[in-house]
Amino acid sequence: MKIVLYLHMHQPWRLARFRYLDLGSGRSYFDLERNLTIFRGIAERCYRPALDRLAQALEEHSEFRFSLSITGTFLEQARLAAPDVLDRLRALHSTGRVALLAETYYHSLSFLVPAPELHDEVQMHREMLRKEFGATPKVLRMTELAYSDDLARFAERERFNGMLAEGWEGILRGGSPTARYCAAPAPTVMLLLRHYPLSDDVGFRFSSTGWNEFPLTAEKYAGWIASTPGELVGLFMDFETFGEHHAARTGILEFLSALPRAVRTHPGVDWATVDEAIQGPPREPLSVPYTMSWADQNRDLGAWLGNDLQRSAFEAAKKVGLAVRQANDPEILMDWRKLLTSDHFYYMYVSGHGADQGVHEYFSSYDSPYDAYANYMNALTDLRRRAHERLGVPILK
Amino acid sequence: MPVPRAGRDVPSRRLLVPTRPLHIVMVGWEWPPSHTGGLGVHSFELCKELTKLGHRITFLTPFPGPFTPVPGVTFRYPGGPVGETQTVSPFPPAYWTGDTPDSPFWNATDGYNTWVAELSEAEGVDVVHVHDWFGTDGAAALAHRLRCPLVMTVHSTEYDRSLGHPWQHILEREERGIAAAARVIAVSRHLRHQLIERYHGDPRKVRVIYNAVRPSERLAQIDPHRRVVLFVGRLAAMKGVDTFLRAAGRVVPQFPDVLFVIAGEGSEYSRLLHLTAALGIGDQVMFLGKVSDEEREILLAGSSVFVLPSVVEPFGIAALEAMAAGVPVIISKTSGVAEITSGAFRVDFWDVDEFASRIAELLEYPTLRKAMGEQGRWEALREGWPERARETVSVYVESLRAGDSR
Repeated sequence: MKIVLYLHMHQPWRLARFRYLDLGSGRSYFDLERNLTIFRGIAERCYRPALDRLAQALEEHSEFRFSLSITGTFLEQARLAAPDVLDRLRALHSTGRVALLAETYYHSLSFLVPAPELHDEVQMHREMLRKEFGATPKVLRMTELAYSDDLARFAERERFNGMLAEGWEGILRGGSPTARYCAAPAPTVMLLLRHYPLSDDVGFRFSSTGWNEFPLTAEKYAGWIASTPGELVGLFMDFETFGEHHAARTGILEFLSALPRAVRTHPGVDWATVDEAIQGPPREPLSVPYTMSWADQNRDLGAWLGNDLQRSAFEAAKKVGLAVRQANDPEILMDWRKLLTSDHFYYMYVSGHGADQGVHEYFSSYDSPYDAYANYMNALTDLRRRAHERLGVPILK
Repeated sequence: MPVPRAGRDVPSRRLLVPTRPLHIVMVGWEWPPSHTGGLGVHSFELCKELTKLGHRITFLTPFPGPFTPVPGVTFRYPGGPVGETQTVSPFPPAYWTGDTPDSPFWNATDGYNTWVAELSEAEGVDVVHVHDWFGTDGAAALAHRLRCPLVMTVHSTEYDRSLGHPWQHILEREERGIAAAARVIAVSRHLRHQLIERYHGDPRKVRVIYNAVRPSERLAQIDPHRRVVLFVGRLAAMKGVDTFLRAAGRVVPQFPDVLFVIAGEGSEYSRLLHLTAALGIGDQVMFLGKVSDEEREILLAGSSVFVLPSVVEPFGIAALEAMAAGVPVIISKTSGVAEITSGAFRVDFWDVDEFASRIAELLEYPTLRKAMGEQGRWEALREGWPERARETVSVYVESLRAGDSR
């Protein structure tokens, strides 16, 4: 049994309040100061302490290893707000026991936008990893762990050897989430599945006092992993789990430190990076004809494109993309790509009830989904005007 | 995010129920069909639901009617039983305060209070319930005489109506009422806070019961070719109508097809008319004057956006009515109705540019208009006057248990 610990690092470029009256003003859509302030806060509470603990664990336990994905927007903000976080990441990677994953530079929904957008953004991200870390990723993860047969074909064309996906019963059809799989339409692409019960025990439930397993110790958790049958157990979660989603006072950082030690007491349980985990014997082919994700109860794209507001905003963004592509202006293109970041659509989620609403509100920076939508549409409308101006299209209205 | 509906001060879902039907003397002001403000509607809807719960109301008013009848409600006014006399009322419209204590208005107010205090043939009364300041002295004296508790509902305060320049005589009446009442009902938590802070109301006695609206059959039918931005309310300084006009001034250059409609009358009318002219938007602003309930419903059905930019708004029932009609609303952050909705845009009352932007956004993005309209409708109608009446009865029972009859 190998543990594939994978942590996701991302921060979006949140929008400033961009009023309808700001259209044509030349104001930036993005609130640089606010984003950097947020980043500095998370760096203090989470990135620095958790990265230091991971570095220490690598030092103390030669068998310990894990994987990271770092979005381009995260990197841009880290560079401006907390360059030492980048230094820490480079140091971790240089140990050779931390694998980096490929994804879209902007953590975007570009996989739903006409080609070549997805290719371009993955390429941008690859170049960023090469330049910043000297890394060549072998495994691709799509925004919010989106996965489908089509995306597997894309990974194959882009010469990736593996992809991440949710280990969801709906696609396993009785199969085990800890077995080895490859993509049915692209057998050279190995699949690494998220073991969602064990991942969510840490990601969601760790600090929940109402949980009957509370408090979760590293020893208990390592025992659960050891008693899980299979070959690979994918523990995939946000990096911010450690110190941000669960504050330091919950003991989450100590838990992180103690885990490699606790795992060591179970012979037969070992660690693997994503690059190591895709090596190995032949696998079962797995087919996923629709796009699934790791979010909410339905594991679909409902969290981003489930309601009229979200779909209307995304359709508008796609349409503006046509003019943006033609305008061929790097600044306009960059702003458009920042607007494709999935977080903007997440903020427009509406639901009166249920467990998911709390999660959505936690992550939102707006007063309401209507607020998020109006603000987004204003920025997009302004962007469209800029693109049209560049193209010499007369601006109506 | 939205302020949670139920707070410590809001009656809990476990409401108290009396062991027998109550007889309530309600010391009121207006009653439909001749009302100028929200108080008339409030009294009407509340009494209707109270009678449905089996309680009996004697409704006192200074005006001789006509009264839209409600079974179980008996009307009494100075000068005789219903329908007997048609005296000309000495009273100006509700909330009118531009007079001195020596004037006929004050004499009439005192006369009304004296009449209330000495109300004859008032037997078997369980609770005296008074609204706002004008009848508090009489109501308190009546409650004392009948040895039953006084409940007072405060819809707005003199501080708010006067934008911080209160009339001492009215202030004192409000203070006396709040002190005398066994229980005080505020129409929002914001207002409750004010009653405690400024009027020294006993926090243990002040409850919050929100206003509500009746479901209307008329849904907003949004016609993309006829776009109306609507304000409904009194033309008073506290309503922030000039913010509405200034915001309109920012919107019209980009939306030449939009009409800004102002429905209501009041002392600010001529000033607002001058402002409209000064802003140069006369051809896109329409002053309708006072509208009937039916006219208001038709207006709402044809409106794209409803704006309530009040500087001070203890509740803001007009916004709730717009929401019930499925019209997306923009309200000032301080309004009471902002406490019970998440489907409205909330704006600082002084932020003209933000009001203008919000109006423009709702005009520009049909998906937003529809989504906010649906959310608002759901929020406005999920609870109504029946719930509010049950909450009120629960406060009556509290007041009876408090044994605080003065």
